Formats: sequence, C-alpha cells, structure tokens
Amino acid sequence: MKKLKKLLTSKFFITIVWVVMLIAVWELFAFHVENIKRTPENVQPHLSGIVDSLTSDRKINGSQTALQMVIENAKATLTRAGIGYIIGIASGFLLALFMSLSKIVEKTSFPYLMLIQLIPILGMAPIINAITGDIAKSRIIIAAILTFYPVATNTLAGFKSVQREKHELMYSYAANKFQIYTKTMIPACIPYFFTGLKISAPMAITASILVDTLQGGIGLGCLLSQSLKGAMTRYVFWDIVFFSAVIGILSFYIMGIIEIMMCPYRRTGKR
Amino acid sequence: MLHSKKVRSGVTNIGCPLLFGAALVASWQTGLLHKILKTDEYILPYPMRIIDIMKENSDKIMLNVNASVKVALIGLLLGSVLGYLIAIIATVFPKYGSGGLTIVSAFNAIPIVALAPVFINWTKDVSDIAEERSMAAKILVVTVTSMAAMSVNAYRGLTELPPFSEDLMKTYAAGRLTEFFKLRFPNSVPYIFTALRVSVPGSVIGALVSEYFAEYIIGVGRQIRENILIAQYATAWAYIVTACIIGIVMYAILMLAESIILKACLHRT
Repeated sequence: MKKLKKLLTSKFFITIVWVVMLIAVWELFAFHVENIKRTPENVQPHLSGIVDSLTSDRKINGSQTALQMVIENAKATLTRAGIGYIIGIASGFLLALFMSLSKIVEKTSFPYLMLIQLIPILGMAPIINAITGDIAKSRIIIAAILTFYPVATNTLAGFKSVQREKHELMYSYAANKFQIYTKTMIPACIPYFFTGLKISAPMAITASILVDTLQGGIGLGCLLSQSLKGAMTRYVFWDIVFFSAVIGILSFYIMGIIEIMMCPYRRTGKR
Repeated sequence: MLHSKKVRSGVTNIGCPLLFGAALVASWQTGLLHKILKTDEYILPYPMRIIDIMKENSDKIMLNVNASVKVALIGLLLGSVLGYLIAIIATVFPKYGSGGLTIVSAFNAIPIVALAPVFINWTKDVSDIAEERSMAAKILVVTVTSMAAMSVNAYRGLTELPPFSEDLMKTYAAGRLTEFFKLRFPNSVPYIFTALRVSVPGSVIGALVSEYFAEYIIGVGRQIRENILIAQYATAWAYIVTACIIGIVMYAILMLAESIILKACLHRT
C-alpha cells in the first residue's frame, strides 16, 4: 500500500498523468472537429491518424513513405542547425573568454550583446538569405547567431561567478593566466555555459526550420509549407509539427544529460 | 584621484561601444561592410537610404507597427496572466501542479514555426473576416510562448519565500488569501519582471514569425518577407530597422517600469 502511494506521488507518475490528460483533451477536441468538419485532418486529426500516417508504407511522392520523407528532410534541417549551433557555441565561448580577459573588449561588446537579444533575428531571416544568396548557408548563420548570444552571456556570467577567494588562492600559488583559466575559471563557468546551451538548442532548430520555409529545396520547413499548400497529404504537416516539437524538447534534455556526463561534480547532492 | 578614475571608467563605458558603433556605421556607409559580406548596395542599402525610405513610407510602416505591436502586447498580457494563474494553481496543489509546470515549460521548447500553422487551423472559425482570424491566431502563438516563462518564474516567486515567513503567517493565524496578498504576491513581483525580461523580446519575435504564416498580410515581420519576395530590399531593410526599434523600445519601457515598481515595493517594506 505504501509503495503504491509512493508511486502515485512520484514525479514520473505525475508527468505521465499530465501527458495522458493532454492526449485526452486533444482526442476530445478531435472528435468534436470530426463531427463538424468535412476535412478534419486540416484542423485537428486524431493522434491515431498521425501515427498511422507515419507507420503506413503508402508512397506519398512516388518513391517515399511519409516517415522516410520526414526523416530525410529532418536530416538536412538538423545537420544545418547542428553546424550553426556548434559555430555559435564556439564563437560565443570565445567572445566570453576575450571579454573576461580584456576590459576593453568587454566594455565594447557588452551593450551590443544586450542589444542583439532584443532584435528579432528570426525576422531578419529573409534578408540574411538574400545577402548570402545560399539558403543552406543562411540557415547555418541564423542558427549560429541565435546560439551565440545566450552562450556568450551565460558563459561570461560563469566567469564572473568565481569568488574572490579563489583568485587570491591562485595568486598565492603564483599561477599564471593559463593555469588560472584552466584550473578555476573554465570549470566554474561550465554549468553556466550549459544553461546557455540548453536555452539555445531549441532556438537553433526553430531557426533552421523557419529559414527552410522561405525557399524551396530540402528541409523540414519546405516540406511543411508544401504540405500546408496541399501538395501532399495534410498528415505530413502534422508529422512535422509533432516531430519538431519532440526534437525541440529532446534537444533541451540531451543538453542536460551531456551536462551531467561532463561535470559529474555537480551531482554533489547524491554523494 | 578617485574622481578622475570614475570619469575615466565612465568614458570607456560609453566611449568604447560608441566608437565601435560609429566604426560599424562608417564602414557600412563607405561600402567597406559590403566588401566584407561580399554583397552590393542593392541588397544591403546604405544607412542614409534606409532612413530616407522610412521617412517616405512612415504612414504605411506605422500601420504595420500597430498591427505587430497589438499582437505582441495582447499576447503578452494574456500569456502572462494565464502563466501567473497556472503558477497560483501549482502553488495551491503543489504535487500535481509542479508536474503540470514541467509540461508547460516543455511547450517552450516547441518551435514557434510548428505552433503558428496549427493555431491558424484552429482559429479558422473565429471570424469571417480574414484580418480578425489571423489576429486571433497570432495572439495565440504569442500567448503560448510568453505563458511558459511567466508560469515557471512566478511559481518560484510564490514558493521560494524568505525563511520562517510562512511560519510567521501561521502564528498570525492568517488565512490563505491574506497569506497570498501579504506574503506570496509581494515576494513574486521581482520574479514577474524576470519572466517579462524573457517574454517581452520573445513576444516580438513570436508576433513577427507568426505573421509569416498568417492569412492576412500585415505586420512588420510579414512586410520584411513580402518586400524581399518582390526584391524591394531597401524597403525590407526599413522594416527590419523598425522591428529592431520595436524590440528595443519595448524592452526599455519594461526596464523603466521595473525600476519604478520595484523601488515603490522596496519603499513600502
């Protein structure tokens, strides 16, 4: 009995209950739509219909099933998002490093780092596409810009979080700049760095999909707009919506897992 | 001595960024930036030209600004109020409430691009006029995106109370409502602003992106795209600059409101 009670109040169980409730609400709404609409899949299909469309082996565009098509396009989109993400992480980290090394760099770039957060970069996607002239490149660039500033600001906050005592200790050890950074500063900033990574992972994916919709070609966004225009069954659209939602949420958690693997010293509570 | 040091740090504080900005604008106006980006003045017009176009089209730009800002503000308001209500419910029922919060914050990770078309489908029957339909869909997108930040932060503000304050309330035999208005709500005010700092820029982005998918063609974001489609790059840049100004002005207003309200709160206690 006690075990059952423990299970009922466990975090895992509560999450499951919520997910089940969400599914129930979705299905109720779907039944309602089914009764009043001629083409319910345009507004809200049953979840079973979406799963069906993913598992069926009916060819949609002559050669590929829906699942194959989504996966092929997702690969293109996610690769570009990934490249942009990595470039953004590297440049964000480097800028934070330079900012902590030099006061002038910090003073010069900090206001702009703040400013860039307020500018709707996603709204600038079409013009970046026009400047680069290459949709693949602009996807990478926008994903990189969106990744860049959360990583830079959070890492900088991490560098600044190092206590004065630690600096004094390193000074008393006669440590040089390189040692100070590798022994205290960089380990201290890692948790902050990962906060930046977690914030920006879904953003990089959003950016990549959005840029896709601007132009034809291969990518989840292109497929999404084609399906919306009626070039193929509407279920492809729903597949993509759910796929990108899952990927967005997963990317956040994957970063959390990598964080735990890379800095196990944060798991001090379990010691 | 101290005084001169202060002046000098003030000079570098303001001087360095200004110098950088001036260098950027100068290289843009002289065409150096075009060489670096390997583009021409057709796609990336000179700053003076963009300003001229903004002056010429100010009426049309204001019309679109109105539409976008309306969407962003209404969505922000709805999302924040809803998010705060969710946080209150989660505080009253802590076990299931915090689980629900996990779900709400998971919504945050869903790309806006996927949300916008879904909401457009859902709001098809709201009105017969395309303008109102699109408006409703856009507002929904902004609402969902700003709800997550508010609910998570407000929940922290409502539950992470100063030590023993809850016990103090108990010794006063305060009811739940009194406890809420005297303790939990004031404690959550700074957290509300933390949430708004995320959701104000987020609401502008949400409004601009959802315009891309909307049926009715209006809004700053949509105009950027439409003008690029017809290769009117200079006009598109005018809208981009406008979008940046919207983002910055809204954030500046938030900062002002925050400093005034937080000061008033501190004064009271």
